[in-house]
Amino acid sequence: MRIRRFGAAGAAIAAGALVLAGCAPGGGSEIEEGTALSVAWNQAFYAYNGNTADGNATANNNIIYMMSDSFAYYDDTPALVQNPDFGSYEKLSDDPLTIKYTLADGVKWSDGTAVSTADLLLSWAANSGAFNNVEPEVDPETGEVLNQDEIDAGVFFDSAAIGGGLDLVTEVPEVDGNSITMTYSEPFVDWELAFNLQLIPAHVTYQQSVDDAASDADAAAAVATAIEEGDTEVLGPLSAFWSHGYDMVSMPSDPDLVLSYGPYVITDLVQDEFVTLTANEGYTWGEHKPVIEEITVRFIGDPLAAVQALENGEVSIIAPQSTADILTALEGLDDVTVDTTSDATYEHVDLTVNNGGPFDPATYGGDAEKAQLVRQAFLKTIPRAEIIEKLIKPLNPEAVLDDSQTIFPGAPGYDDMIAENGSAEYAEVDIEGAKALLAEAGVTTPVEVNFMYALSNPRRVNEYQLIAESAAQAGFTVIDAGNDDWGSKLGDGSYDAVVFGWQSTSTAVTSSQATFYSTGGNNLNGYANEEVDALYDQLAVEYDPEAQIDLLIEIEKILWADAYGVTVFQFPGVTAYDNTVVDGVVPAPLAPMFFWNFWEWELVG
Amino acid sequence: MLTFLVRRLLASLVVLLVASYIVYVLTAYSGDPLEDLRQSTARNKEYLMQQRTEKFNLDVPPPLRYFIWLSGLLRGFIGQFTLGENILGQAVTDQVAAAIGMTLQLITASLVLAVFIGITIGITTALRQYSTYDYSATFLSFLFFSLPSFWVAVMLKQYVGIAFNDYLEDPVIPPLVIVGVALVAGLVWMVIIGGPVRRRLIVFASATLATGAVFTFIALTDWFNDPSLGIVVIALLGAGVAVLVTALVAGLRNRKALYTSLVVALVGVALYYPFQLISLSLTLWSVIALGVLAIVVGVVIGWLFAGPDRDQSMRAGGITALFVGLLVLLDRFMQSWDIYVGSGTINGRPIGTVGSATPGLTGSFWIEGIDTFTHLLLPTAGLMLISLAGYSRYSRASLLEVMNQDYIRTARAKGLTERTVVVRHAFRNALIPLTTIVAFDVGGLIGGAVITENVFGWSGMGKLFVDALTTVDVNQMMGFFLVTGVVAITFNLLADLAYSALDPRIRVNS
Repeated sequence: MRIRRFGAAGAAIAAGALVLAGCAPGGGSEIEEGTALSVAWNQAFYAYNGNTADGNATANNNIIYMMSDSFAYYDDTPALVQNPDFGSYEKLSDDPLTIKYTLADGVKWSDGTAVSTADLLLSWAANSGAFNNVEPEVDPETGEVLNQDEIDAGVFFDSAAIGGGLDLVTEVPEVDGNSITMTYSEPFVDWELAFNLQLIPAHVTYQQSVDDAASDADAAAAVATAIEEGDTEVLGPLSAFWSHGYDMVSMPSDPDLVLSYGPYVITDLVQDEFVTLTANEGYTWGEHKPVIEEITVRFIGDPLAAVQALENGEVSIIAPQSTADILTALEGLDDVTVDTTSDATYEHVDLTVNNGGPFDPATYGGDAEKAQLVRQAFLKTIPRAEIIEKLIKPLNPEAVLDDSQTIFPGAPGYDDMIAENGSAEYAEVDIEGAKALLAEAGVTTPVEVNFMYALSNPRRVNEYQLIAESAAQAGFTVIDAGNDDWGSKLGDGSYDAVVFGWQSTSTAVTSSQATFYSTGGNNLNGYANEEVDALYDQLAVEYDPEAQIDLLIEIEKILWADAYGVTVFQFPGVTAYDNTVVDGVVPAPLAPMFFWNFWEWELVG
Repeated sequence: MLTFLVRRLLASLVVLLVASYIVYVLTAYSGDPLEDLRQSTARNKEYLMQQRTEKFNLDVPPPLRYFIWLSGLLRGFIGQFTLGENILGQAVTDQVAAAIGMTLQLITASLVLAVFIGITIGITTALRQYSTYDYSATFLSFLFFSLPSFWVAVMLKQYVGIAFNDYLEDPVIPPLVIVGVALVAGLVWMVIIGGPVRRRLIVFASATLATGAVFTFIALTDWFNDPSLGIVVIALLGAGVAVLVTALVAGLRNRKALYTSLVVALVGVALYYPFQLISLSLTLWSVIALGVLAIVVGVVIGWLFAGPDRDQSMRAGGITALFVGLLVLLDRFMQSWDIYVGSGTINGRPIGTVGSATPGLTGSFWIEGIDTFTHLLLPTAGLMLISLAGYSRYSRASLLEVMNQDYIRTARAKGLTERTVVVRHAFRNALIPLTTIVAFDVGGLIGGAVITENVFGWSGMGKLFVDALTTVDVNQMMGFFLVTGVVAITFNLLADLAYSALDPRIRVNS
């Protein structure tokens, strides 16, 4: 027994050594190495077409940004940077507004097909909604789409860009060689942004929806012809596939569905886990050449989980939702660079002037001046500096007051704007001034103000408390109208003042028009000023950027003088990266956020 | 029986319907699904809001909108079943299918381990009632039971995951730590084994020395970076397993069973080397097949040895085969460990804190197995620690109750060995109430691992629920509710049926 066991052990040791020596390399032979970087984003990628109503989300657009190219992109200022390597555009005339887009030579899809005017035409056709001839009709009883057959037969590009300005190009753009020329039916000053959209491969869309036997060139040509001729027989299936054919949560079996025309190409996508982008060998035309061979974007929803993943080296760049806890956790990490920044959403206080409340002239028998004095008095009590100091500085030490209703802090024209727009009047709390204004107005104090805010948002609860406390000293009784349904109550006149955020998705100069124009869609407080309207009308046909800023300054002067409301701060954001792994990460306020300069990222060491 | 089933099912259906209505309406009123768009300054904001409103019938009040959703469900009878789309335009059925797979992956190991370890603790504490061990185990299980799961999860990541990875980068165990760990281990073993003072001291000394030796060995050889067991350790452990299994299943007096187990262990060790040769070509299914084969071989060996009770021998053989097989597997995984840790994607930090797999890592069954292990380790530990307490308390109470029954006294009076009394007469009956609890727990865990899933970045049912709630996505919420509701009801029913099958005193023919 003993001998047998010793023998076995001896044999086994020898065998074990052999096994270890023999098997060890075999197990790892399949791991291929290259330069790679993992970053985190808080939502999973789910659509290759980021233009559709469903797919239009930052989570998709960040990824799309790395696998596509564009006529222009946003840097971290945020300013629009033209990208002539991909294509150029020029304004041929102001009236009618005519723009010529020209593709650079050598721009091609990752399957080798050239990016052509057919792709540009498809982008116009889809995102302008020019050919959409059916809208889904839903049976309110059952939720069933009643006209499914009609939709299947008709044309319906379900784009999120419809109404974004491209709809003003009602005629089919003219194609000339490698360029297309668009003519707007009305003047539109933000034309630069209107067509800066992701392209969807025309040939693939055609092959997938109409004729899978067509060659790539034939398919692209067929799309161009169909658009030029308005052939709904072809556009119908094309639109259906464009709208939903590119939805994906995991890697599609057909590589045509994830064609790239940029520095990276999607090579792996696992549902709710990660997406991997690999350098596109066919990207030869531009200067955004990838330095890192493989970028993996992992989807981590929980902010603290992202911080711990950063600490554990599983990801190297994160942009979690900024809270005091997250910042504390980040600051405790070695070798991590934390960039606190401003996001593109700005917090502001608006006063309602058409609800019969204290800020409505109607309350005082139409005495506009009296109402204005009361508004000014109230705004003077808003402790903007204190709000920044107590609520925002802990999250973004460099935070400053946002003093403009129309221009993003740091963007071109902001400094001139805040110097001239009259916001300085409200920089400090002025209780005495407010009392004097109320006395001048001759209203009986206390003045009751219904103040609405998002009850479920702790920061806004704090803002409300600071404001209520300060306003009380000047003779206002601020009534707590905090509400969880504040979003749907906006504009219903149930409140006299409200604090919430406007989110900017672009630097469009006319984006503020909807808020301040008397009939604008975002005009929720009944503000109407003919001068402002006239200036916006003027802005709508003013193409010179300098003159645009001058007009915006004129507009804001009136807004601040009218005591429309005050802006308070930009939402704080945070980007953190492991500086022993990667360098060159620069956060940006607008989508694609920190991804904007991915070609400048470098691996360290 | 049939009437009982039908009645239960009908009642469950009504409960499900009413509950679904309540959940639907509550979710719909919990927030504003257009909130993200309301703050937008996009030029086509109105269009986008209208688009979403039409798509989800937001203009229909929730108490009525429910019936739109229900009609999608009922159209299952005409083959047009739909749960609708979530707010991102994805079919809810697909989302739920993907999520339930993830959740099952996450909770299976933790459930099995929690039941196994929990019952072991429960039984041993019951047998040694009011000992130091009993009190310590009770204290610890209550401690873990009362810990909030998000906190446990974060702490596990920080002090187990990240700390272990840091250790691997600089694998130094200070001597003081070794001494400390050894002393603690000695104490733990002393308390667990107990007995008279002399035995306690011997246990303490030997456990301290053994642990100290093992840790010194680990520290000196950097074992965690390149772990292995080797055939010698497997042989020793295999023999130990054989003895232990025999002791539990048949009692060491049953020599035939003991020989069976020992021979099975020997066969396993003998097959160690051939197994290495074929191991690289194995897949999950072939490994499972080999496992089944091993059990069959063990059973056959037991059948051949026969002895006074053939069943006992066969059982001992089968169980020993399983464990020895697991040891060989473990050793094989260990052999791939250093390749895994050294690979570029892992970069020396093997324990993952998020997700279920390392992106971009593909490899043999062994490499991918290790990857799954490193990602499952922490969430499984988190879930297990918390549910362990329940099982250990229930099984302790249940065994104590059984041990005081008359038939146990009768069994002892008959002259049966203590092993037979405990294992055959008490233990089996003590397990009956536990089936109910385990069945409940399966239903609960499917929807209840919300926090653990979220913290570890697993996109299971819990994440589905949280996302649905934050975006006021009623369709997705109902997808979640439907699955967890049906699972809970099904498992409750199964528990009732299992109870009546196990306990002959219970009949379900009301």
